[in-house]
Amino acid sequence: MPTVLPSVETVIVISAFALIYMLVLLRKTLQGKFDLYDFLMLSMVAILPAGFALFPSLAYLVSHLTGVVFPFVVMFGALFLVVFAFLHNMTARLHRLERQNCALIQEQSLLALELQAKESSRPGG
Amino acid sequence: MGVDMGSDMGSDLGLDSTDTRQSGAAAAPAAAPRILLIIPCFNEEASIGGLLSEIAATGRPYHTLVVDDGSTDATSAVASCRSPVARLAQNLGIGGAVQTGIKYAARQDFDFCIQIDGDGQHDPRAIETLLDAYRKDPANIIIGSRFIDHAGFCSTRMRRAGIRLIVLALNGLFSGGRITDPTSGMRLLDRSAIAFFAKAYPADFPEPISLAWAMRAGLTVSEVAVEMRPRATGVSSIDGLKSASYMIRVLGYILLARLMRSP
Repeated sequence: MPTVLPSVETVIVISAFALIYMLVLLRKTLQGKFDLYDFLMLSMVAILPAGFALFPSLAYLVSHLTGVVFPFVVMFGALFLVVFAFLHNMTARLHRLERQNCALIQEQSLLALELQAKESSRPGG
Repeated sequence: MGVDMGSDMGSDLGLDSTDTRQSGAAAAPAAAPRILLIIPCFNEEASIGGLLSEIAATGRPYHTLVVDDGSTDATSAVASCRSPVARLAQNLGIGGAVQTGIKYAARQDFDFCIQIDGDGQHDPRAIETLLDAYRKDPANIIIGSRFIDHAGFCSTRMRRAGIRLIVLALNGLFSGGRITDPTSGMRLLDRSAIAFFAKAYPADFPEPISLAWAMRAGLTVSEVAVEMRPRATGVSSIDGLKSASYMIRVLGYILLARLMRSP
């Protein structure tokens, strides 16, 4: 089915990028900078191109099934999908954290006010 | 995260120990409503002292809470001589600051809270006008409006045109009150409004959006004419191109409020 196969150089470059990027991601995940969800989503940037380069038959099959002439269009489409899903969840998470941060700062100020009042009302305070 | 300080915490919090809170409050009859003035401030060291003196000069038994929204000047130091101050560890914006005061009012069991700006635009003598309006015709929220009598400082022509658009959107999309000044920062909230806004209060463009949320939830809004003054210090954060962006975003939020089930 494949009409044009990726060159050896292309496969080497993409595989090397995928390997290095995955190692960097793994290191950051183990350091606690990313959680498993971040790791999986971000690793798609390496896994998808590597999958298309290493398994050209599969890439052509997917493009055939989706009715797209060029496999790289499917690949970029899939990458965009992953990025948008990641962005969507990140935006929701950001807003939730923003709300929680705001509530925490408000609580801290009200508790400090309460503590201050208790201390000043204590005999000899 | 809720911390119920209870209604008997008023004395614990030193509410009767400042210049602005009259000693008569303690001796007042039990039926006398407890009124909290919420004063959100950001770098208002030049005006906050004068404002608190003006409040004291009214001779009314108001309780005050200055909410210092992460000021980098001496706002807290100046204000804390005359009023309790809630210091926010970082700047939350006017919405976060006002909601801090509303949460305080809810926990301290205040009957009313009245928001007034710390920049000196609002004359504390107009507080009684808001309370009189509530006595005559109670509503959950009473706004001090510049545009009923058109007396005093009424903002720039450009901004008034923008406010008119917001008015059209609010009055057209919601029932529950006819509004002329949705961006006024001088407003009275009763117990229902305090309970409502203690749970949720808009962080962005809080004055007009909070009205949309309130009317969406079935709270009533009315207005009374007040005279405002030009701000004593500082400059408005909404100028030039920001005004257009402000308008578009506010109208978007109002539309969203109309579409959402409950804020």
